[in-house]
Amino acid sequence: MEKIIEVQHLSKSFGTHEVLKDIDFTVKSGEVVCIIGSSGSGKSTLLRCINLLEQPTGGKIIYKGENILDDKHDIYQYRTKLGMVFQQFNLFNNHNVLSNCVVGQVKILKRTQKEAEEVAMKFLKIVGMDQYIKAKPKQLSGGQKQRVAIARALSMEPDVLLFDEPTSALDPEMVGEVLKVMKELADNGLTMLVVTHEMGFAKEVSDRVVFMDQGVIVEEGSPEQIFQNPTQERTKEFLKRTLPELA
Amino acid sequence: MIKKLKIQIIVVLFLMSFLFGGFVNVAQTVKAAQNNATTVENDNVFRVGMEAGYPPFNWTQQDDSNGGVRIAGNEEFAGGYDVEIAKIIAEQLGKELVIVKTEWDGLVPALQSGKIDAIIAGMSPTAERKETIDFSDIYYKSDLVMVVLKGGAYEEATSIHDFSGAKVTAQLNTFHYSVIDQINGVLKQTAMDNFTAMRVALQSGIIDGYVSERPEGVSASAKNKNFAMIEFSEGFVTNEEDTAISVGVAKNSELTGKINEILAGVSQEERQQLMDEAIKNQPGTDTEQSSISWVVSILKENGPMFVRGAGMTLLISMVGTILGFLLGLIVGVIKTIPVPVKKARRVLQRIVHALLAIYVEVFRGTPMIVQAMVIYYGSALAFGIHMNPVGAAIFIVSINTGAYMSEIIRGGILSIDKGQYEAAQAIGMNHFQTMCNVVLPQAIRNILPATGNEFVINIKDTSVLNVIAVTELYFQTKSVAGNNFRYFESFFVACVIYFVMTFTVTRILRYLEKRLDGPANYSMNQMQV
Repeated sequence: MEKIIEVQHLSKSFGTHEVLKDIDFTVKSGEVVCIIGSSGSGKSTLLRCINLLEQPTGGKIIYKGENILDDKHDIYQYRTKLGMVFQQFNLFNNHNVLSNCVVGQVKILKRTQKEAEEVAMKFLKIVGMDQYIKAKPKQLSGGQKQRVAIARALSMEPDVLLFDEPTSALDPEMVGEVLKVMKELADNGLTMLVVTHEMGFAKEVSDRVVFMDQGVIVEEGSPEQIFQNPTQERTKEFLKRTLPELA
Repeated sequence: MIKKLKIQIIVVLFLMSFLFGGFVNVAQTVKAAQNNATTVENDNVFRVGMEAGYPPFNWTQQDDSNGGVRIAGNEEFAGGYDVEIAKIIAEQLGKELVIVKTEWDGLVPALQSGKIDAIIAGMSPTAERKETIDFSDIYYKSDLVMVVLKGGAYEEATSIHDFSGAKVTAQLNTFHYSVIDQINGVLKQTAMDNFTAMRVALQSGIIDGYVSERPEGVSASAKNKNFAMIEFSEGFVTNEEDTAISVGVAKNSELTGKINEILAGVSQEERQQLMDEAIKNQPGTDTEQSSISWVVSILKENGPMFVRGAGMTLLISMVGTILGFLLGLIVGVIKTIPVPVKKARRVLQRIVHALLAIYVEVFRGTPMIVQAMVIYYGSALAFGIHMNPVGAAIFIVSINTGAYMSEIIRGGILSIDKGQYEAAQAIGMNHFQTMCNVVLPQAIRNILPATGNEFVINIKDTSVLNVIAVTELYFQTKSVAGNNFRYFESFFVACVIYFVMTFTVTRILRYLEKRLDGPANYSMNQMQV
């Protein structure tokens, strides 16, 4: 499988505090990778470094053979290739549902309004929000907002979709509707990189699970391998704490 | 939908200025003011500055009766003793007379900066003034008097010392004020800007009397039944240069000699006759009426003056607020650009920030009236730039508003959740695109109430711009009151007009806010619409 993103020796510090230490990992086309780990382990920072919301302090991020940390690389162009779904949804409050999905296509991809609306409607249907195109974000529930946020990211037709704890800010009864959409996308072959606390989702949907602790990747492998036969002591402990039923 | 709404609001505002001023009138006024500005270099005119609010020397009237002369950049006419003298001088100079209506304190700067050729405004050639401008020979000489309330404690006074213990004042920057010290035991009050203010103060009992000159005293007591004029048997000791009145001209002007020659040809009898006529002709009716019927007759007689004044006020404050808002937007956006990675750019950003900080601090930290004086007269004195007064007024209001708005807008931008920036960046927007498409629309919605505040403040604060000869509502009201001597009634009319303007603006903005917010709940029916 073709490598889409390859992270090499990536490090990130906030002042003297080293959040990421010498991270190496790859995402291949069509893969669903889940990053798990306890709070403060650096998994969200890793995701944010990948689309440069945080500037890494060292290392390389290779996208389709080019290091995007080179000065001359067009980071805006690069970001359009990476969709991002945030924990707090971050829908544009001044735009309605349709417009949230259209504005980026028109302003950045220079699609026509009509073209952009067609694309947006296609993805709003997929996430089941096509009935709400005129609604403003403040009129929606958390689960609805997150589904629109997914449609917005998809409308840019990115190569990879990054999810930063997409269900952590949701009421429990809304988690299901969002995970269902994500599973459908995964089944359709979308490349996804998901930071999550939803162990069930990681186990069921992902092709590969990455366990992070204290700024390093401790262990990675297939879901079966990580959840049933973890080799590292720290992985075992983490799983014991989060999934007591396994112990 | 929002675009349509914007157009509606602009239409409403323009309708308002049409109602209040007539857009046509304002346009005419602006055009006239421009014509005035372009005549600055014209040698065939004789531009004379006066308050047009100091009867019987000079006043404002609605038509050209009794020899009234059209005021430049205005729909009104000036009349009075000064105007008659100005006409004689202009005629013999072979030039066309142009009357420039300017506040008292703006007269000397206007002369120095070449915006007018002469001051003929009942001005005395005092030693202090002679340091900055030259004066012609005397064209009128009068005695000092005191104006008091009829039936009051001081009506029977004969000596200035009868005013021991009385609260007395006079006009700021006149010798009238300095002679008050000659009264033993007087309670000298703070000097006032103009006669209108002093008459209001006298009528309301804030002062017991004000020092004036005979012609003004005669008219004040003739027009207002509550006033009496005291002529002293034992009066103030004065210099001739103080009680006399001369034409003010620029230092070393060749006009001085010519004017002296012309004045020499006007005999004493002729002068007295002109003054008597002026006292007789000055506007204002002395019939006894209730306050309410006064308000009605003021509106009837001076309606157009109020309307034009209000139109001018609305024009300046509206254009000033819009331009100031845009200026503030630019400054606010520049101030919130994130720190660049490259060093050269960081240095550049720091320089730009420092310059913007100076701009904001200077214009927030000084009064608008002071800025108006410095910019309008200063630009003429230092660089020879003659701004059109309305243009200058809009300029001053705009940069002032810009300084305040930039901080408000910066606050509005900072109040937007960081997630909004991140989401915009994550789909590939640069800083400019993020600002235009996501952050500013939200920030502007959040600062609408503060913007409305600025607009209301501007409507009220334009009242200081009369120092640069802008005939806005407050200046017009002062002229009306100066003519009819009905201060309370005239200012009451102005009060109502100001309130109607500010209230309407506030309501329009509130409506706009509501429309932008939309309903709190989403109903599926909306889709069918």
